[in-house]
Amino acid sequence: MHRRQWMAALRTPVGAVAAGLVAVLVVLAIIGPAIWGDAAGTTDMGSINAPPSAENPLGTDALGRDILARVLVATRTSLGLALAATAIGVTIGLVLGTLPSVLGRRSGRAVVTLVNFLVAFPGLLLALFFAAIFGVGARGAVAAIGLASAPAFARLVQTLSATVAGRDYVAAARIAGVGRARLVGRHILPNIAEPLVVSATTGAGAALLAFAGLSFLGLGVQAPTYDWGRLLGEGLSHIYINPVAALAPGVAVVTAGLAFALFGEASAAALGLRATRAPVTPRPPVEGLAWAGGEDSDVGTPPEDVVLDVQNLTVAFGAGAGAVRAVDGVSLTIRRNEAVGLVGESGSGKSLTALSVAGLAPEPAVVAADRLHVNGCSVLGASDRQLATELGTSVAVVFQDPATSLNPSMRVGRQLAEVVEEHEGASRSAALAEAVQRLRSVRIPAAQRRATQFPYEFSGGMRQRAMIGMGLMGQPSLIVADEPTTALDVTVQRQVLRLLRDVQRETGAALLLISHDIAVVSQMCERVAVMYAGRIVEELPVSDLMNAAHPYTRALLASVPDMSVDLERELATIPGQPPEPARRPVGCAFAPRCAFADEQCTAEDPPLAELAAGRHAACWHPQTTVAVPEVAPSRMGGH
Amino acid sequence: MRSLTFRGVSVRFGHGSHAMTAVDGVDLEVPPGTVVGLVGESGSGKSTLARAAVGLVPPSSGTITLGDTEPGNPRRFAPRLARPRHIVASPQARRRRQPVQMVFQDPFSSLDPRMTIGESIAEALPRRRDRHAEVRRLLQLVDLDPGRSGDLPTGLSGGQRQRVALARAMAAEPEVVIADEITSALDVSVQGAMLNLIRDLQRAHGIGVLFISHNLAVVRYISDVIAVMYLGRIVEIGPAADLLSAPRHPYTRSLLAAVPRIGSTLDDESAADGGGWRADILDAGPPDPHQPPAGCRFHPRCPIGPLAFPERSDCIEVDPAADAPARPHRAACHYVTDAPADRSVGRT
Amino acid sequence: MSQALEPAPPARYVGAVPTNPWVRFLARRLGRLVLSLYVVVTASFLMIHLVPGDPVRAALGLNAPPDLVAARRESLGLNDPLLTQYADYLWGVLTGDLGTSMISNLPVATIIGDRLPSTAALGVLAFGTVMLIAIPLGLGMAVLTRSGRRRGSELGFTSTAASVSAIPDFLLAVGFIFVFGVTLDLLPVAGRGGPESFILPVLALALGPALALSRILRVEALRVLGEDFVRTARAKRLRVRRIYLRHVFPNALTAMLTIGGLLLGAMLVGTVLVENVFAWPGLGMTIVSAITQKDYPLVQGTILVYGAAVLLLNLLVDIMLALTDPRSTIRES
Repeated sequence: MHRRQWMAALRTPVGAVAAGLVAVLVVLAIIGPAIWGDAAGTTDMGSINAPPSAENPLGTDALGRDILARVLVATRTSLGLALAATAIGVTIGLVLGTLPSVLGRRSGRAVVTLVNFLVAFPGLLLALFFAAIFGVGARGAVAAIGLASAPAFARLVQTLSATVAGRDYVAAARIAGVGRARLVGRHILPNIAEPLVVSATTGAGAALLAFAGLSFLGLGVQAPTYDWGRLLGEGLSHIYINPVAALAPGVAVVTAGLAFALFGEASAAALGLRATRAPVTPRPPVEGLAWAGGEDSDVGTPPEDVVLDVQNLTVAFGAGAGAVRAVDGVSLTIRRNEAVGLVGESGSGKSLTALSVAGLAPEPAVVAADRLHVNGCSVLGASDRQLATELGTSVAVVFQDPATSLNPSMRVGRQLAEVVEEHEGASRSAALAEAVQRLRSVRIPAAQRRATQFPYEFSGGMRQRAMIGMGLMGQPSLIVADEPTTALDVTVQRQVLRLLRDVQRETGAALLLISHDIAVVSQMCERVAVMYAGRIVEELPVSDLMNAAHPYTRALLASVPDMSVDLERELATIPGQPPEPARRPVGCAFAPRCAFADEQCTAEDPPLAELAAGRHAACWHPQTTVAVPEVAPSRMGGH
Repeated sequence: MRSLTFRGVSVRFGHGSHAMTAVDGVDLEVPPGTVVGLVGESGSGKSTLARAAVGLVPPSSGTITLGDTEPGNPRRFAPRLARPRHIVASPQARRRRQPVQMVFQDPFSSLDPRMTIGESIAEALPRRRDRHAEVRRLLQLVDLDPGRSGDLPTGLSGGQRQRVALARAMAAEPEVVIADEITSALDVSVQGAMLNLIRDLQRAHGIGVLFISHNLAVVRYISDVIAVMYLGRIVEIGPAADLLSAPRHPYTRSLLAAVPRIGSTLDDESAADGGGWRADILDAGPPDPHQPPAGCRFHPRCPIGPLAFPERSDCIEVDPAADAPARPHRAACHYVTDAPADRSVGRT
Repeated sequence: MSQALEPAPPARYVGAVPTNPWVRFLARRLGRLVLSLYVVVTASFLMIHLVPGDPVRAALGLNAPPDLVAARRESLGLNDPLLTQYADYLWGVLTGDLGTSMISNLPVATIIGDRLPSTAALGVLAFGTVMLIAIPLGLGMAVLTRSGRRRGSELGFTSTAASVSAIPDFLLAVGFIFVFGVTLDLLPVAGRGGPESFILPVLALALGPALALSRILRVEALRVLGEDFVRTARAKRLRVRRIYLRHVFPNALTAMLTIGGLLLGAMLVGTVLVENVFAWPGLGMTIVSAITQKDYPLVQGTILVYGAAVLLLNLLVDIMLALTDPRSTIRES
């Protein structure tokens, strides 16, 4: 597995170039002195500081020696010293870094403090400090640079070790009685090895540069030994006479340093360690969405109080034949004062549906629909400006994670006030006053004081209520709540749900509630739509849940332990897993897991058909005769 | 098989003015062959209690014992932990049996990504027996294909990883297994299989299980005894069916009322019992564990406490935890109620 | 909702603010600064005693007459017990007496006082240049290349920035001398003179860190763009400019502060190398000649100054972090 990743690193253009350069350097270091050693040492007092010529492609130095030869021969010294210094730094760093994990609490903390203190100083300063102590010369410089780079490595090892030591599998090993040494050797070191190697590679590049600097200053290798830095220093004094003498070793240093640095970066990227590229997480753009064509077909005009009118919504990733449809043909209608729930497990596409409805689908997604109207205006193809003016604040969204949905460095009151400042042109103080009012209306105590606080000072439930308040700053006709209470405690959940319900009643808004928890949806909504693999497979009134017809809905209802499940029987389970959007099977997506599937099911995809008034199911064999029983109890493993 | 007993266990973090007592004076027993469910919301201290039981966190006071002897001491390892004073390390046994084992919540960090699942399980085996056979046996025990023992965890789903974690815990031949929110990270359709598995294993081997969860329905399904924690204390403990049908402590009642149920509404059922149950008081902010309220810790949110009945000042002045053992279900409340049977909670 | 439920004593609830956190924070930080300075002073004191062999003989040369060596030892106080020397040194630092140079016999403090302003000027100008280049460039590139737009420009920018910032400052300096001095003869390349003599040294110092920082800033800004709260801002249908200015940029800049501080610290010490290339009359040349000549009192003094400068820079960064991240002050307490 890891070898493959390293090979992959070499295949990227950056990685290949870097690897090639490093290989060349190593070869030069090994054979250089043998081939050009003589030329590098032969003086020729007849042609000192000569410009480049056929005989001396880079000219000669102050003693008439060929510069090209000297640069090539210096590879071994420069590289060797840099690697030696890196080795020292890494070794000391490894010891210092793993020490806190091995020692007791007090001594460990002392080591950590020491390392943190040293890390605050730039490497060059530490190197100068040690160089003053050890004196000039190659050996002193190696020691100086090695010691100077140790704190940074130690810090890295410490951080990595601490992360790994905090993982559950290390805790499990401790509980299993595994000894300290084995814990470090078997669990910690292997898991930090890769980032460490990458760091060492980059560190070797840095050591090379540091060495060049020291030697350039005259504090590194001393005559008659020479490395690139020393050559650079010698050349600089004659730069007006023969500039190549200074530039050539400079180029060598830069190339070598670059080779190491790039190789380190390429490996890091290949191992997924560092975000050198921009993170392409699926997120909504700041402005302008790539809405697909999807001409808005006016299939009849819906009645006046329809707030959300969605027909055949598709959300796909990628284009052309390989496009993956995460949401495939979803239709929904929600009226004023109506609450509709959207239920599904992970991967069903419910969140994406909600986000698309609100115009917040992540950028790589391509959204298309026959119709997507909020309050009569088409959302499809509208620009950000248009959405802001036409929709204004009619759509309020409550997201799942209250911890990250609020700007951590802006006061809560201001985040609410922003809405009216932007859309109603309110003054700052007026907007803030309204924000405080809003916070009060969502039952946040001491609202005046709370408005001046930052989100981290709010509890999870309070943050969600603030989010609801934020949505209320405008006049929402549609509230989209995406798993608003999943991250909350159950008592807090109830509180937030009640607030949501009251808010909906007061404003008369429509509510689209997304959840994986059918029970929550049944408490809040009149209708529920069940999604599976990107489609709605059943739609029915909440009051009729016990008579659900689709086998998936029935299985879902049967497998969730609720407060009245028979304790003597085993819990029902649904074998298998939901299909990934890219691997949707032909025919009904639920067929592989369905107890009632037959050939028709695996061949043809059932359309969403009306079973009765207000009840739809996408199934060839809807179970309409019996109320939800237990699915045959099974304890199937393998999932 | 022996009982896992907590006596007066407290766990404090930090020091001086920044100290926080995550667990405060907990008495709990997990008898052999019993499943004890531990419920509580965030900040209740249930996870800390679990970690203290396996030695990952040292108790600041009190004892945790298995039977009448102290369980084996897991090697002190993490830099931030000192040797706990109450658990004495046994110098001669390098790989003693570790009779208290734990399964963790997050399936994706409970297995070392660089060890095969067979190696992970084998690491927990007490002796260098025939590891291969043992590993295969354990994999079969948790309904996994024994041929996969050479696989790395990366290919496994969340449910499968939890099974491996369970096999690893069983490898140590435990007397008590602590399950810390093991189904919270799993999809609903997978959760059931895991719970069935735990139940079967527990019954077959007579193991005691401390099952921690915030999900009351799950706890109800699997537990024989249920203990309710709030802000570091156990506020009520009793037989599962009894506690759920006739909860004594107002927090338990609130918790039960808050669990969403199909067919129920968001409005209060408990108001039906009359007597001024002020459910809105519960909506007051969650407690700050750094500064627990005086007297009864639940009083600022209690629907029948001093904010509902101003004359009940003893809730602020006297801590009901002191004489809790004398009340039914050891409820830590001055005004223990005998709530009428909650209609929606079925009996076995 | 009954107003009577507003909790009276805030101390029981989340978000309580005890005493003024700023005072406590500043006190803590300054205390830490003093402690760190103390360690630096001690380290520089120990320097002369860690030298293998006899430091005085090393400085004066192996052929120096023994009575001269003895006299020097005496004048440096090296014959006193260690603790006395330590006390004397500490007292000296506090009163501004950093000893006397072994080579020139001038007070170290005077030498440093002469040379420090040039280095300081260089440092301050370089710092300003870095900020002026990195912030607009990094943030601008983030806006231009968000969500995979303009892949070509992204690649061009990252590779150019990576390559140039990989070139150490003294090599950039040599390159500049070659281009602007030898070839074009456009700008002065040695010594400190009028304002145009600042251009090349400042550029050599600042270019690398500026480009490195702009890369990091771009990545951070893009990360912030993907955060949930930006999605919330989008849901509020705020104007694009407002989203960037109020939500994205401030959080990106905060995230960049720590590593920015490290880069600036390295740049500060980089003045040593750049000064030596341009024969700039600052502390950089002083320290190198002092080390070469083994003029220990002077080395001690200059190391002390650089160390103190780094510590002060770190303090500044910490203060800025505390100002911008509301959580940090509370984290401290």
